[in-house]
Amino acid sequence: MEEKYKKAFKNALSLGDDVVIEKLKYNEIPEWDSIGHMTLISELEDEFNISFETDDIVNFSSYDVGKEILNKLGAS
Amino acid sequence: MSQLNKKKTEDLAKRLRKNILDMSLVAGSASSHFGGALSCIDIVAVLFQNIINYDKDNFKDLSRDRFVLSKGHACMALYSILYELELLNDDDLNSFEKSESILLGHPVKNLDKGIEVSTGSLGMGVSVSMGFAIAAKKKKIENKIYAILGDGECNEGSVWEVALSAPKFNLDNLVLIIDRNNFQQTGKSNDILDLNSLNSKWKSFNWDVCEINGHDIIEIYDAIKKETKLPKVIIANTIKGKGFSFSENNNDWHHKILTRNQYEEALKELE
Amino acid sequence: MIIDKKKISLWSKMGSRATFGLSLMDVVKEMEDLMVVTCDVSTSAGLDRFKKTYPENYIDVGIAEQNMIGIATGISLFGNRVITTTFSPFQTLRCCEQIKNNLGYMNSNVKMVGLASGLVLGTLGFTHASIEDIGALRSIPNMNIISPADCTETVKSIYASLNNDSPTYIRLTGGQLNNPVYEEDYNFEIGKAIRIKKGKEIAILASGTRVSDSVLASEKIYQEKNFQVSVYNFHTIKPIDKITIKEIVNDHDCLLTVEEHNIIGGLGSAVSEILAEMDKKNVKLYRMGVEDFYPKGSDYNSLLKLLNLDQDGIYNKIIKLLS
Repeated sequence: MEEKYKKAFKNALSLGDDVVIEKLKYNEIPEWDSIGHMTLISELEDEFNISFETDDIVNFSSYDVGKEILNKLGAS
Repeated sequence: MSQLNKKKTEDLAKRLRKNILDMSLVAGSASSHFGGALSCIDIVAVLFQNIINYDKDNFKDLSRDRFVLSKGHACMALYSILYELELLNDDDLNSFEKSESILLGHPVKNLDKGIEVSTGSLGMGVSVSMGFAIAAKKKKIENKIYAILGDGECNEGSVWEVALSAPKFNLDNLVLIIDRNNFQQTGKSNDILDLNSLNSKWKSFNWDVCEINGHDIIEIYDAIKKETKLPKVIIANTIKGKGFSFSENNNDWHHKILTRNQYEEALKELE
Repeated sequence: MIIDKKKISLWSKMGSRATFGLSLMDVVKEMEDLMVVTCDVSTSAGLDRFKKTYPENYIDVGIAEQNMIGIATGISLFGNRVITTTFSPFQTLRCCEQIKNNLGYMNSNVKMVGLASGLVLGTLGFTHASIEDIGALRSIPNMNIISPADCTETVKSIYASLNNDSPTYIRLTGGQLNNPVYEEDYNFEIGKAIRIKKGKEIAILASGTRVSDSVLASEKIYQEKNFQVSVYNFHTIKPIDKITIKEIVNDHDCLLTVEEHNIIGGLGSAVSEILAEMDKKNVKLYRMGVEDFYPKGSDYNSLLKLLNLDQDGIYNKIIKLLS
């Protein structure tokens, strides 16, 4: 799941190979702005076949928090 | 083109006033905005004799200066100078306010004839001028944007939107000239909506402000040429109807018919 | 720009405003002279990223819509392509006279994008919800008026309008989770309505997000009654597609216009003007929209339901007509 998750981040936010994805937080890099956030949500929904609730989208503030949300939603 | 020639400017102003007389006569019963056109003539003469960088041959160049008559009802002042530039001809002036004329009671945009913007609804030309100034800066064109507005026009909120925002964009290429003739349509500006100290108002918006006698050629020239890093507003104290004894400070001449008799009398005063 | 299923899915989740803002990131690469002029609405227009990445192409004049239009006009007269944007009522009504003089009368090449038009801002009340914008601008000559059916069409209408010289107003409707009408790229032409469903007797002519609900309503009718009504996407309200309207009138007995706008002045009025001049007299026209009153503010779905403009409302209307 972790690999798929990291790949989704990389694709959605157009990240280079040098970026430490695990440490990412919302709004701390230019790519993860509000538009980046929606792109990421969309990518994760497509990849994991899940649907985020509004609260999930708002709370998704970092790579780690996102991982918890995915687990909660039963993503694999 | 950027040294003051006082004699030529005075001669031009005389010709401009003559053209206004001719157009007012042509307008006949349609009337014309006589007073408000005359009050800004000396400003127009200084600008076009000594400062503005275009003529009939290069009028369509992107890098030309821009002149916007935001107080569009003073259109005879604009048409008058365009005639002197040979962008308008005798037939054009003789069609003033006639059916389907290109020269109506307010300017209608026509780049072939030198009319940059359709004005007449007060408070709008200044905003378009600000757009010109911003675009010129973006394109790194070193020209100037000149706009004449009326004091009555300063009642419009949209003028103050320009006042508030122009300094933000570092528009040192924008020069507004307020033709403060102290009258508007139905009477004295002070009675209708007192502008009080225009000087301190514009200064507080962070403009470079000059206050001058709007009929003194040297004062007008110096004010326009004065270097500044801010957008500039020149408050020109003028006389509505300036140039003819019957119309000076007489608000009847805001919009009135000029009779043949009055025309003949006025001609004598120009000699 | 290549439009694929992935983009369509992303855009529909983002909603039309974010889609608009995001699309300009691509537009400006092709049109470097593009200037965006706004009134303190970057975030609301999805333009934060554009503002950061292309600061030289972005001008914020503050909350001063009349000045925005004047400035946009001045810039366009220097040859730049210009887009203005703010919330729909302020974009259209606050500066309506400036739009008339500077865009209509001077035929200036400026494109205006009205955010959150229609009923989507209902919880903010009708100072912000917008049901008058089309009516106000329709009477200005030279003005094109487009109401995209979904987020994909939002992108296509931005490109299409920037590729001509006419002053244009694009009204964006709907919020996030904006139902896509189109699942893949398609041909979009300003002024040409698009038939989505071919049916008989009854034709729905819809605009904006009402297109999607009209399609869903027609599909439900087909499933239950085995009866296909026609559905047309009238994305362009001005110039109205007279030719298609005439074809629709000739091929159907009943027309239903559906819009998030007053029934006075918008799509319904535009269609009725054409119908009134046609010889075929026994065609009925029903205008579905806001019936010239201000409802109490409410969330989007509740307002659509109250006004019978949602899928159920359109469905019920058709059922009534069929009986």
